[in-house]
Amino acid sequence: MELLDQIQSIVREAETALASAKTENDVETIRAKTIGRNGAFTALGPLMGKIPPEEKPVAGRAFNEAKQTLLAKIEETKNRIADSAAESAGETIDVTLPGRKWHAGRKHPVCQTFDECCDIFRRMGFIATSGPEIETVFNNFDALNAPADHPSRSMVDTFYFADGRIMRSHTSPVQIRTMLAQKPPVRIVAPGRCYRRDTPDATHGVYFHQIEGLYIDTDVSLADLKSTLMAFAAEFFGEGIRVRMRPSFFPFTEPSVECDFTCVMCGGKGCKVCKNSGWIECVGAGMVNPNVLRNVGYDPEQCQGFAFGMGIERLTMIKHRIEDLRLFSENDVRFLEQF
Amino acid sequence: MQISLDWLSDYITLNTTPEELAATLTRAGLEVEEIVSTATVPEGVVTAKILSREKHPNSDHLSICKVDPGTGEPLQIVCGAPNCDAGAIVPLATIGTTFKDPDGGKDFTIGKGKLRGVESFGMMCSARELGLSNDHEGLMILPPDTPLGLSVAQMFKGDTVYSLELTQNRPDWLSHWGVARDVYALQGGELKFPAADLPPVKGTEPFPDLVRVEAPDLCPKYTARVIRGVKVAESPEWMRKRLEAIGIRPINNIVDITNYVMMELGLPLHVFDRSLLKEGRIVVRRAAKGESITALDGKKYDLEPEMLVIADAEKPIAIAGVMGGEYSGVLDSTTEVVLEAAYFNKTSVRTTSARLNLSSDASHRYERGADIGMVEKASARAASLILELAGGELVSDLVSVAEPPVPQPHILCRYGRIRSLLGMEVGDLEISTIFSKLGMEVEPLNDESCRVIPPTYRADVLEEADLAEEVARIHGLDKIPDTAVRAVKCADFSADTFAPVAAIRNALVSTGLYECLGTSMIDEKTALLDSDFTKEDLVAPVNPISLDLAVLRPSLLGGMLATVKRNISRKNTNLALFEIGTCFCKTPEKYPEERGEVILALTGQRHPERFSGERAELYDFYDLKGLIETFLEERGNPHYTIRKSEDRRFAKGECAELVLDGKKAGVFGRIHPSLVKGMRLQTPLYVAIFQLSNLLTASRKPVYYQPVSPFPPVTRDVAFLAPADMENETVIAFIKRAKVPNLTGIQLFDIFTNDSMNGRKSMAYSLTFRSGERTLTDEEVNKAHEKLRSKLEHGLGVELR
Repeated sequence: MELLDQIQSIVREAETALASAKTENDVETIRAKTIGRNGAFTALGPLMGKIPPEEKPVAGRAFNEAKQTLLAKIEETKNRIADSAAESAGETIDVTLPGRKWHAGRKHPVCQTFDECCDIFRRMGFIATSGPEIETVFNNFDALNAPADHPSRSMVDTFYFADGRIMRSHTSPVQIRTMLAQKPPVRIVAPGRCYRRDTPDATHGVYFHQIEGLYIDTDVSLADLKSTLMAFAAEFFGEGIRVRMRPSFFPFTEPSVECDFTCVMCGGKGCKVCKNSGWIECVGAGMVNPNVLRNVGYDPEQCQGFAFGMGIERLTMIKHRIEDLRLFSENDVRFLEQF
Repeated sequence: MQISLDWLSDYITLNTTPEELAATLTRAGLEVEEIVSTATVPEGVVTAKILSREKHPNSDHLSICKVDPGTGEPLQIVCGAPNCDAGAIVPLATIGTTFKDPDGGKDFTIGKGKLRGVESFGMMCSARELGLSNDHEGLMILPPDTPLGLSVAQMFKGDTVYSLELTQNRPDWLSHWGVARDVYALQGGELKFPAADLPPVKGTEPFPDLVRVEAPDLCPKYTARVIRGVKVAESPEWMRKRLEAIGIRPINNIVDITNYVMMELGLPLHVFDRSLLKEGRIVVRRAAKGESITALDGKKYDLEPEMLVIADAEKPIAIAGVMGGEYSGVLDSTTEVVLEAAYFNKTSVRTTSARLNLSSDASHRYERGADIGMVEKASARAASLILELAGGELVSDLVSVAEPPVPQPHILCRYGRIRSLLGMEVGDLEISTIFSKLGMEVEPLNDESCRVIPPTYRADVLEEADLAEEVARIHGLDKIPDTAVRAVKCADFSADTFAPVAAIRNALVSTGLYECLGTSMIDEKTALLDSDFTKEDLVAPVNPISLDLAVLRPSLLGGMLATVKRNISRKNTNLALFEIGTCFCKTPEKYPEERGEVILALTGQRHPERFSGERAELYDFYDLKGLIETFLEERGNPHYTIRKSEDRRFAKGECAELVLDGKKAGVFGRIHPSLVKGMRLQTPLYVAIFQLSNLLTASRKPVYYQPVSPFPPVTRDVAFLAPADMENETVIAFIKRAKVPNLTGIQLFDIFTNDSMNGRKSMAYSLTFRSGERTLTDEEVNKAHEKLRSKLEHGLGVELR
C-alpha cells in the first residue's frame, strides 16, 4: 500500500532528523514539518480519501500510531536537549552541599518529660494540676503526717521565710489543696518544682521537679497503683518494662512502697547503672495514710487510695542517659538542641 | 547498718544462700545494699595427706613430699615448711589455684614448678597463706580425721556482711536480733534469744541513791548495775572479729561488750568507772546553764538547759543517749563499773545531737526510737558478758527508775479491709499468722476480724493501715496481681491547669525557639538586673544556701541574661531562646506573690553566612515582632495590637508593647546596652517579656471557614509622601476604615526618604482587589482605587505621588 509506505518514510526521516537535532528550534522545525498544521501528515489527507473503504481502518490506525510515535519522540528529544543544555551550562548541583536548615524549636528535656508524663496520665483519667511553690507548713508537712520532729522540717533541709512559710519540699501539698477543695473521687497528677537545701552538685540542686499522683475513691488499692505505674512505664520507657514494688517508708503513705522499673540500660540483665540489680528505683508511693485523709476532712472508713511521686530529672536522666544534673540549668544550646 | 550472717545465725537458723536471703530481706523492706564476703581461701585448695617426706638433695631446708589430694594418685610437692611430716593432713593448693593479694596487688597462680632441680606440682599452705590467721610457723595442720580432696574454701567459708539501707520507721532493725526476728517471720526456723544467766548478787551493800532521775519526761526508764572487780583487757578474738566485721573498732573488753550488745539487741549501753563518779552515784537531769562536757571524742561541748545529761553528784558525765564524757569512761585501771541501760526520749536525743552536731551509734538508735521493752534484757545480757569476759562480781541488783509503762495500742484488723487496701488475695489465717510471727499478740474476735497488739519494739504499728503494710511485706508485694487500669473521670478537664501552659510551650517551640529552664534561686545582683524591681520586691528565704542563691527570681530577665552570657562565653553566638517560669514578688501592688512569666530572647544570626556569597543575616526587631505575631496567630488570639513603648530595660526607640484584649500583656524590643555590658555580645539582643496569665486568658477566636475565591485578584499600588512619624499601622487602619469594596489585601512594599522630601517619607502600598462572586473589571477596580487615593489625600493628609 502506497499510503503505508509513505507514512513509514515520513517517520523514518523525522527520527533521523530528531537524532541529530541540537536545539529546541531544530525540534520545533521537525515537528512543524511532520505533524504541524502544514506538515507531511496533513498532506497525506487527500491520499486517505482515495483508498478503498475496506482498507480504511488499517490505514487509519497506522496513521494515528505513527503520529503518536512521532509525538513521543519529539518530547523525548526535547528533554534530551534540555538536560544536555543544563549540563553544559553548569546547572547541575552538588547535593551534598549544606541545606538551609528550617529552624525547629526544642522543648527543654525536663519539660518534655513533664508533658509526656502528663499526657500519659491524662489518658488514664488523671487531671494535671498545680499549686504554689511558696507553701504553708501545714500543707507541706503537718497535713501530710510528717512527725513534728521530722528532720526534713528543719532549717537545714528546707527553705523558710520570715513569716513561717516555706519553699515546698515536694509537690505533695497539691494533694492537700486538691482534697481540701473537693470531695472524693480524686484523680490528679501534680507536676512542679520543689526545693531542698542541698548544695548543688552532679546529682543535687536547690530545686528539682516532681510529678505527684493521687487517686482516691471507695476501693482503690495497691493493685491499682501497680497497674497505673506499669501502664506509665510501658508508655514512657517502652514495652517490656516491668514494675517491682518494695516496702518502704514515707509518713504520708501506709503501706509505703518504693517502685523500681526494669533497668532501661541493660533490660534487666544487670549493669553499672542499676548496680547489677536489673532494677532502677524511680517511684516513691503507697496507700494514702489514714491520718492524711483525716487531716483534709476525708473519712478513711469511706475512702482510700494511692499516691506516688517521681523525680522528673531522674526520669529524664535515665531516658537520655544524662549524668550531670547541672546540665539542665546551664541551658547551653548545644545541650538543648539534642532533644 | 551492717549485719554479719555469722553473727545473725546465733539467733536464727539460716537455710538459704546469702544472695537469696538478701533478696528476701530486700523484698520485705530491709534493703540489702551490698553483700561483702570475708572468705579468703581460694577455690582449688583441697585437703591432702602427706604420704612421705624426703630431704631435698640440693637444699638444707626443703623437703620432697608425696602428697595424696584424695585422688589416690600422689603428687610430688617440694615444701619448705618445717612441719611437713608424713601422715599430716594439710591444705594443698593444686595447679591453677589463684591467690588474690589482699592489698590489691597482682594475683598469683600456682603452676608446675622446679625448686632446685626437683619438680613440684602444687603448694602446701600455712594458715596465713590462706588468710585464716596470722600463723605462719608452718603448714596448717588439719584434724587427722579430715576426709581427703575436700574444698578448703568450703570448709572455711568466712563470714558474709550485709550493708542494710533501713527506713527511718524501723529502728527495730538496727540490731542482729531485730533482723533475726524478721528473718523468722519471712522464712520460719528457730529463734533463739541470747543467753543471760546472772549469778546471785554478792554481798549486801545497799545502793540507796545510785540513780536519781530528775527529768522523767526525757528519760522514762533508767537502770543501772554495779559490777566490782572487773579486769579491763583486750576482748577475746571472736568478739573482736565480729565487731570488726561490722565496722566497729575494738577498744577493750568492757567497752566492746556494750557495743556488742547494742549491735546484738539494739539498745545502746554505757559503762562508767564508778570510782570517777563524785559520790559514786548517777543523776539524770537537764543540763544546768553554762555547763559543758568534754566527750569521748575529746571535744568540749557547751550544753544547753534543754539537753538531757547523765551527771554524778556534781557535773555531767555523759550526754544522755549521745556520747559519754571523757573523764568518767573505762580506763585500764578501772575495777568497779556502773552499767547503764536506759530509754531516752527520741526527740530529746535528736535535738541534742543536732544542736551539738554530734552523732553516734547510740544517738542514731535513740533518735529513731529504742525499745523500752529491751532495757532489762540488754542490761542482763551485758552484765553476764562482763562477768564472763572481764571477771568481777555483781554487787548490786538492777536499780531501775521508771515511769509507769504506756499501754500498747490495740488495733482492730478487718481481714476484708486488709485485702481491699492491698488489692490482693490473702487468707484470714495467713494474715493473723503473719502478725503472730512478727511477735504481735493476736486475739481473734469473729470471722471477719481480730485484735492485734504490737510489741514495744514496733512503735510504727499504730493502726489498720500499718497492719496492711506488714501483710504486704511478709506475704510479698510481688503477689499483687496485674490488673487493668481503671479510667475514671473524677474532675472537669478544665481543672487541668497544666495543659494550657503546655499549649503555650508548644506554640513557642513551633516558632523555632529552644526552651530553657533557669534556676529560681539567684543572687540579688542578677535579680535586680531587671530594673522593674527593687530590693523591697525580692522574696528571700531566711536560710539561703549561699549568697549566689539568696533570692527568688523576681522575673526571668536576670536568668535569661545569664544564660545568654554563658552561651556567648562558650561561643554559642546564635541564640533563639524562651523560658516559661514562676517568678516571685513581695510587693502585692506590683505583682502577685507568685506568677508565671514568659521570656523570649534572640541574638546572632537568623541565617548563617553561606558559600557563593550568601551573606549572614542578623536577627532584628522585626524578627522578634514577627515571631510574636506568628505565636499569637497560632494561639488564635485575634484582638492584639503592637504599639510603640518606652521601658528602661530596652533601648530607646526600639521598644514596643503587646496589647491583648485592650490590656498590656508584655513588652519587647532591643535590650538596653547597659544590661549586656561586659558580655562580649557582638550582636544586638532582642527580648520579649510577657506575663503568663495574660497569654492564658487572652480571648481565642473560634475558627470558621471562609470561602476561597475562585476569581483572579487585581492589584493596584498607591504611593504617597507622609510625615516622618506616620506609622504603618495608622495608614492601614485608615484604609480599612475606608471600606473600599472588594479590597482584600493591603501590603506595604516600599518606604524610604531622601533630602528632596523635606523630612517626609515615601510610603508605597500594594492593594489587592478580589471578589468571591465574579471577575472584577478594570473599570470598577480603577474606580475604587481612585476613591481610596482621594480619601488618603484628604483624610490622612498625605501627598500622593
